[in-house]
Amino acid sequence: MALIEVQHLKKYFDVPNGTLHAVDDVSFVIEKGTTMGVVGESGCGKSTLGTTLIHLQESTGGKILFEGKDVTHLDKKQLHDYREDVQIIFQDPYSSLNPRYNIARTIMEPLEISGRFRSKADVRAEAERIMDLVGIEERLRGSYPHELDGGRRQRVGIGRALALNPKFIVCDEPVSALDVSIQAQVLNLLMDLQDQQQLTYLFVTHDLSVVRHISDNICVMYLGQLVETCSSKELFAKPLHPYTKALLSAIPSTDVDRKMQRVQLKGEITSPINPKPGCRFAARCPYATDACREPQQLREIEPKHFVQCCRIEELG
Amino acid sequence: MSADNGKTVKSEESTFLDVRDLTVQYTSMGSVIHAVNGITFQLKKGETLALVGETGAGKTSIAKAILRILPDVSAKSKGTVIFNNTDLMQMKEKEMQKIRGHKISMIFQDPMTALNPTMRVGKQISEVISAHRSISTEEAVAEGKKMLEMVGIPAERYYEFPHQFSGGMKQRVVIAIALACNPELLLADEPTTALDVTIQAQVLELINDLKERLNTSMILITHDLGVVNETCDNVAVIYAGRIIESGSKYDVFKHPGHPYTNGLFGALPNMNLDSDRLSPIAGLLPDPTNLPDGCAFAPRCPYVTDKCRQGTIPAVEVEPGHFCECIRMDEIRKER
Repeated sequence: MALIEVQHLKKYFDVPNGTLHAVDDVSFVIEKGTTMGVVGESGCGKSTLGTTLIHLQESTGGKILFEGKDVTHLDKKQLHDYREDVQIIFQDPYSSLNPRYNIARTIMEPLEISGRFRSKADVRAEAERIMDLVGIEERLRGSYPHELDGGRRQRVGIGRALALNPKFIVCDEPVSALDVSIQAQVLNLLMDLQDQQQLTYLFVTHDLSVVRHISDNICVMYLGQLVETCSSKELFAKPLHPYTKALLSAIPSTDVDRKMQRVQLKGEITSPINPKPGCRFAARCPYATDACREPQQLREIEPKHFVQCCRIEELG
Repeated sequence: MSADNGKTVKSEESTFLDVRDLTVQYTSMGSVIHAVNGITFQLKKGETLALVGETGAGKTSIAKAILRILPDVSAKSKGTVIFNNTDLMQMKEKEMQKIRGHKISMIFQDPMTALNPTMRVGKQISEVISAHRSISTEEAVAEGKKMLEMVGIPAERYYEFPHQFSGGMKQRVVIAIALACNPELLLADEPTTALDVTIQAQVLELINDLKERLNTSMILITHDLGVVNETCDNVAVIYAGRIIESGSKYDVFKHPGHPYTNGLFGALPNMNLDSDRLSPIAGLLPDPTNLPDGCAFAPRCPYVTDKCRQGTIPAVEVEPGHFCECIRMDEIRKER
């Protein structure tokens, strides 16, 4: 069953030099209990996509369906209800926690606001349960964020997001500020919680090995556009879009025996302000032709494998 | 470079950097932080050594101690750093200034803060050249433009300011500054960590290419094992300020010895395997103000015995040129 369906979602920002197309006509579906990974380079609009989905900012156009209901525009009361179902884990566990709240209070705050609990003791008990769940040791529950290391702080961030039993969580680069040994602990925790509670994730990251590990399906974004989407297995086994190919081949491998065949991209990501019509990747694409400067469509090239590239058939 | 199955054979060439018993301590609020605790390594001409480890392992302190740019007030460093037969640690500050940026230079981690925001980028390159060579201003400008082009930035952008550059371009400017005087030794501190993968690939390619052309030796500091594999000949794994494992890249990656190194590989999501769970290393780095006796990794080590918690742990040569600081190495290898 589809938990979230996004149709032609757009998010533009007015900036001094024009309009910045952060998310431009993006459509996809996330099934309940699965993880959709969103990858792309910095500035491609992946975080904006996440925050727009959970109404931290209003979309400019398009539609968001949550459990079949249109949640694109919500009034205050509806938004309050929607926020109990959707939550976010932020990238930086150092700046996303209130430095003046201790850990227990950080977890208890959403519980109190929800009004689901009759007494302070009930809130306290629920907070204890959540802190047990995400593995925050008892001795640390009175501590303040600055007293914890990054991995534990991110556990607090996860605990806070889980407090109201949401159905959908946007994970915005939750492990990119952590060292590998700690990163593995947090990834395992997220996957365990998903199994236990049937959670649905939108997992935003620039780290391709992490996204492969955690995602069922993946969206590849480039400058606000969705260039390729399919299952995680398929994407890594058979990337089709020239950008995806370049992106995958750019990951340094830890295998000493394998020599990488690299598709080296020239140039850098261009500006998303007042973009020209057509494929945004054309400026860096080794296969670009005039046809690429025409508006592009996301097409199903193979079953459940969508690519936005007009030359995909020729390239083979 | 790729003689017998990827191993690097360069032993005939003489050692030109010899670091012995290097220690760095910081004082902060009355307590002493033991950042680097007796590091010894050698580097040959043209060789690239990776220093790998987690945040707080002491990697950057090692590089800063070699270049003597640690803060005077709070940091103390001891040991010998023999570079081209002179001990840098004994050198007068005046002499040292002639070496910095000329013979040895450093690429800093964060390109956003390493550049002066109020100075034109080109000037920041020419400045280094003028400081170390007696040439006219015009020549320095011409050299600066040449360096910009070498790192793939058009010379006409010489007169722009850092904020007009993207992250990847800023990092390339930082590299151009570091390479401006053809240094013999390059200390690269996480040169690509702040960059996207496609830009990282470009920068690594650039560094590899320049290294080969100028025969520069390099110490690359990173926590990314993939980057190590793409650029380095030898690897030293740092844990709590000590080299706990060192050897050729091939040996360390193929047969990691130390339980910590093994743990690092296990914690990485593997691109080529479909594993369901990662195996994280339990626990955290020890408190550097209060390091345990014996092996610093003992509190997190699955193979720990009482003997691990006593005295200093000697390095064992597990293969020719492959060293491990672990007393249970032989037993652990049998168990696996």
